[in-house]
Parts: sequence; C-alpha cells; structure tokens
Amino acid sequence: MVARARRGLREELRLYLVAVTSLSVAFLCVGGALLATTNLSAAAERWGESGRLSVYLRDGARPEDVTQLRMVLEGLPEVASVQSLSSEDARGMFLEQSEVSSDLASLPAEVFPPSLEVAIAEGTPIQRVDAISERVGRFRAVSDVETYRSFFDRLGSLVTAGTNLAIVIGLLVLLCVFAVIGNTIRLAVARRRNEIEVMKLCGATDNFVRGPFVLEGTFQGAMSAVLAVLALGVLFTTVRGSIDASLAELMGTRAVFLPAWMLFAIIAAGAIAGAAGSALSLRRYLTV
Amino acid sequence: MPGMPRDPEDDEGKVVRPFAFFRAGARADARAAQRPILVFDGVYKYFREDQPTLKDVYLEVERGEFAFITGPSGAGKSTLLQLVYRKHTVDQGRILFCGRDIARLTDKSIPFLRRNLGIVFQDFKVIPHWTVFENVAVALEILAMPRRLVRSRVAEALERVGLAGRGQERTESLSGGEQQRVAVARAIVTEPALILADEPTGNLDPHLAIDILTLFEEINDTGTTVLFATHDHSLIASRDHRIISIDEGRVIEARTGLRSWGTTGVHAAVG
Ligand SMILES: Nc1ncnc2c1ncn2[C@@H]1O[C@H](COP(=O)(O)OP(=O)(O)OP(=O)(O)O)[C@@H](O)[C@H]1O
Ligand SMILES: [Mg+2]
Repeated sequence: MVARARRGLREELRLYLVAVTSLSVAFLCVGGALLATTNLSAAAERWGESGRLSVYLRDGARPEDVTQLRMVLEGLPEVASVQSLSSEDARGMFLEQSEVSSDLASLPAEVFPPSLEVAIAEGTPIQRVDAISERVGRFRAVSDVETYRSFFDRLGSLVTAGTNLAIVIGLLVLLCVFAVIGNTIRLAVARRRNEIEVMKLCGATDNFVRGPFVLEGTFQGAMSAVLAVLALGVLFTTVRGSIDASLAELMGTRAVFLPAWMLFAIIAAGAIAGAAGSALSLRRYLTV
Repeated sequence: MPGMPRDPEDDEGKVVRPFAFFRAGARADARAAQRPILVFDGVYKYFREDQPTLKDVYLEVERGEFAFITGPSGAGKSTLLQLVYRKHTVDQGRILFCGRDIARLTDKSIPFLRRNLGIVFQDFKVIPHWTVFENVAVALEILAMPRRLVRSRVAEALERVGLAGRGQERTESLSGGEQQRVAVARAIVTEPALILADEPTGNLDPHLAIDILTLFEEINDTGTTVLFATHDHSLIASRDHRIISIDEGRVIEARTGLRSWGTTGVHAAVG
C-alpha cells in the first residue's frame, strides 16, 4: 500500500505541491495566531505573578490592630516585604507623581488614607494573591484592598480573545485542509479512475483501493503542517532578536516559541483532516 | 460441512477465495467437479421496466467448457457476463457459480467472487503508463501475494500469452494485440476457474483476432472454463465450440458442435 501511495504521490506531484503549499500558508496563520496568544498569556502570567497589594487602613484604626495585621502579613511566605504609608506620605507621593496644579496641593492629608504596601514574592500564582487579599480584607483595621486585578483582568480578557481568535482560525484552516485535500484527492481519483476500475474488476476490496489515497491525503496534511511549523520556527528565530529587546522593555518578558505538544497537535490535526478529507471524497468512486 | 467454501467476509488481506478448491485443475471435491460451473436459472434483468434485457434465461456451462456467446448488438451479451461478475444484480432468478448463488452475495463478498474470475474486455482495460509487469501483477497484489511469488507467476503468465521478457516495457508502447495479451495475462495469472471475455477481439484485426481466440483456446486446454462473447461470425465459424445465442433477451440456441449444423445452422444461430 505504501508503495502504491508513493507511486501516486510521484504521479500527481504538481497537483499535490500546489495543495501542500497553500495549506502550509494556512497553517502558518494558525501558528502565528497561536504564537501571539502564547506570548500574550505568558506575559500576563508573569505580570500576575510579580504582584503588589495596597491595603488601605480605616480612619482611626487602632495601632495595635495595624501592628498585628503587619505581623500576619510578614509571616506569610508569599509576602516579600511590607511597607507602611501614612496619610502624609501618600499625599506627598501623590503630589510628586502627578504634576498637578497647586489647588490639588491644598488637599488635606485626610483625603489620602494610610496604607500598607505589600510586595508579593515572584512566582506567586494569582489565586494565592486573591486568597491573601480576601483574608486581609476581613481584618477590622482594613477598609479596602487593592490587588490591581482589573488590569490583569483586562490583560486576561485580551488573552481569552486571542485564544478564541486562534481557535476560530484553527477551525477555518482545518476546514480548508479538509476541503483542499478532499478536492485534490478527488482530482487524483478521477485521473486514476481507470486504475480503480481495473483493481475492482480484479477483486480488490474498497479498503485496498482506498488505502493509498487516504495515505496520500494524510501525508499531504501532515506535510503542510510540518512545513508551516518549520517556517514559523525560522521566522521566529529571525525576528526574535529585535522583538525581544522591545518586549523586555515593555512587558519584562522574553518571547517564547510554541510548546512541543502544540506543534505535534498542529501536525496531527493536519494529518487527521487530510485523511478524513480524502476518505470522504473517495466514497463516490468505489462503485464498479 | 466439509468442502464448503469459507466465508469470505472476515479475513481480508490474506489470500482468501470463497471457492478455493475450484481453481483450474484442482479436484478437491469430486461431486463439485461434476456439477456445472455456471448455471443461469430463470434469470431476468430489467434496465427498463417495460422491457427486460434478459428474460427467463436458463443456461448451464460445464466445467472446462469453451462457449461462444453471440447475438446482435444490444442483445444482452455484455449484460449476461456482467451479471456473472456482479456489475449488475439479477432482478429475478438465480445464477449459481460453483453451486453458490451469486445474486445473494453481499457487496463485501463481491471482490472475493471476482478473484475467482478472469475478465477480458474489448477495450483491454490496461493502464497505459504502467509497465506490462505492473499491469499483470496488480491482480496478485490484490491477493497480498509475496513479491517473489508475484514475480515468478507474472513471468509465467507473460510467457503463456507470448510476451516473455517484455515485463519492463511501458504498456502504451505495445500494439493493440499485445495490449490485449497483457489483459489476458492479467486474467489468467490468478488461475481463475472461469474466464469471461467480452468481445476481446472487437478492437483487433481479423488475423490478430484469430491469434487471441487461439490463446483463449490454449487457456481452455489447461482446464479453465471460457465464455467468449463475440458477434464476429467468421470467428465463430472457424471453430467447433458450443454457441450460446441471445436474441431479444432469450437464449435461443445453446448447442454444441457447430460444424455438424452446416452453414444454414450458423446463420440461424448467429442471426
Ligand atoms: N447499465 C445499463 N443501463 C441501462 N441499460 C443498459 C445498461 N447496460 C445495458 N443496457 C441495455 O441492455 C441492452 C443490452 O446491452 P448489452 O451491452 O448487454 O448488449 P450487447 O449484446 O453486449 O451488445 P454489443 O454487441 O453492442 O456489445 C441494451 O439495450 C442496452 O441499452
Ligand atoms: Mg457488449
């Protein structure tokens, strides 16, 4: 069967090359979308991990409550450091950072609540940070906890959107692979109709006839995906140098390539879609 | 039941024949060998509802027989043969091949029926861009036969049809008569019990037609049953074989010994 499939590939080389090339481009789009999503989510993860908490204290919180809170926080393994900020400090920092006009400078210190600025150790998962902030929020001295989650959430929803986009593109491309390979094989089958007839008249089973065509379709699908992955790899390594610098500045992360399992999944999906496309396109031609 | 054919449905890939003991020359079952190899029993075939192409056909073909099938164009010669290799199914009646009703075979068994038949066509049905060897070997590859055996069996078949040593030539470079010999080699390489030839000489010059007819007779001499459809009177008249004549859907003559009829007999039978 492999020998007959090889003969088929040789005879229909031009036809198959066109199909494989166009499908490679399609797979390249999927790969690109996946690569962007992967990098975005990697960045989001890192940012989420190197987190910060602002624990705002109630007006008139009792000093011993604050001290106790501070001790609890410092006892947590996820907490890197705790710094307390009085109303005056906060006002000073605010005025310093926002170069605003002098009427804001007349704001009284009471407008700025005192807080504990908590730095979270690197590598702490977001869920842990949430748990800590929830626990801290129950202390009597605490009025509010700011986790800066809304920013991560926005980033997170961007990642989700990217993932969805990649999935949609992926499905479209699979449909393309299915249709293009189905058509290519249909053409090859039509050209080899006489061979099929001869084989069937000699007593070949449908599977015997179908085998090489399905193999050819599988090979085309897998080959397109492999070519796309290789092209993506080459593109990635060439542009990585220039991207990395700006990315590091912007997000504090380095560009990452797709994980191995995802590459295998792309290739497997190509092979399966190719096999299915050719198997389905063959059904009509087997009656002799 | 001893001697009954194995059920062909299950093991694909292995060399399986539903009627394995009926290969040419094989005499595994004495009773089976005495029975006719092919029986048409009240067969009707309709392509149009109002007019049957074949009606109420009764026919017995003995093992080892050589029979012409003749009749005017459109009489149903091809249809008769196509019913045997299950290109079509009978609408009424039975066709027994080696005692088995082939009308009742499932679609999945049809390949196994065809492995016991050798079919030759007017238009050769060889693949022009394959080599002569490949065109003959395909019938054995279908049986998943080992390559070494394929090589020796193909060489043997090519020798029998007079194409010894020409296996590596591209088939399209051969003459028409030679291409038909390739087709005959493909039909006999599996050593089938029955050969169906549907106007195998229709595309050939008269002297080539005689050559091909002689080839089929040589094959018949080794014990293979041959059904040879043709409307070439001169071909039929040149030999003393049984003539099965079809007209308006009925088998009107099924006699042996043409020469004993005299010339009027020929024209009565051939039309
Ligand atoms: N697949 C089919 N569908 C419809 N009608 C068919 C089909 N095959 C054969 N027929 C009809 O059956 C009749 C017999 O055809 P068949 O091919 O058996 O004749 P034949 O004796 O082989 O003729 P010829 O000598 O021209 O080959 C014809 O009238 C033909 O139109
Ligand atoms: Mg005909």
